Amino acid sequence: QGQEINLTTLQLPQLKMLHDQFDSEIEYLTSSMQSLKGAQTQFESSKRCLLKSMTPENEGKSVLVPLTSSLYVPANLVDTNKVLIDIGTNYYVEKNISEAEEFFKRKSDYVKQQMEKFQPILQHKFKTRQLIVEVMQTKL
Amino acid sequence: KLGPYINMGAVDAQVRLELQKEFDEIQKVQKEIQKSAELQKKLDSQLNQNTVVKDELEFLEPESNVYKLTGPVLVKQDLGEAKGTVSKRIEYISAEIKRQETLVADLEKQLNKHKESVSKIQAKATAVAH
Repeated sequence: QGQEINLTTLQLPQLKMLHDQFDSEIEYLTSSMQSLKGAQTQFESSKRCLLKSMTPENEGKSVLVPLTSSLYVPANLVDTNKVLIDIGTNYYVEKNISEAEEFFKRKSDYVKQQMEKFQPILQHKFKTRQLIVEVMQTKL
Repeated sequence: KLGPYINMGAVDAQVRLELQKEFDEIQKVQKEIQKSAELQKKLDSQLNQNTVVKDELEFLEPESNVYKLTGPVLVKQDLGEAKGTVSKRIEYISAEIKRQETLVADLEKQLNKHKESVSKIQAKATAVAH
């Protein structure tokens, strides 16, 4: 790491090894990016849901609460200013709407930041792999 | 992985036996290193999760209501107690990661020793052959 290697000096088997290594790194990073994207979407949709549904005018309205993905029970929305948020490892925290919104925004921004950090690294790996393929072709 | 570098036909049975023993050892050690690496990955993600929760708890007002999910029940927990629990977990996981790191360092030392013996056996074998 940090040390430069001239690809053209490498033998075909070594190039193949390097190529496979980049392949698995790219695969790993791509799937990580996908999970980050998924997490971001969830935070955003939770935030949207919060702002759209948890309003004072919706207080007392009836809702259907999912017990499983196919079983719903009727309920009444009692308090539209308090929610419980899952902060991870089985801990839940009571928050009011503006605190909750802030929470989701913070999380979403954090995930976005992580993605922006990984994007150039991934791009660079793609480029390097392409370069390796090109060198391999000249050696065939 | 070291197999192909040696022309097995050219060495006598005794040397071959010695080499095989070293190769088996190398494989064993490599497997253990891999096992530890997987465990470290898991621990890392646990550490991450707990750090995120710790940061979130630190962020809260002192009078905030915190609940812990135990089975199907949410149990109210004191914020200080929750912080303590998570801190302790982080401590434990960090220590475990350190332990795995020293373990891998030790295994790598063993690996190098075996690789050295392989070179020695090979050198001896070529010296005899000439």
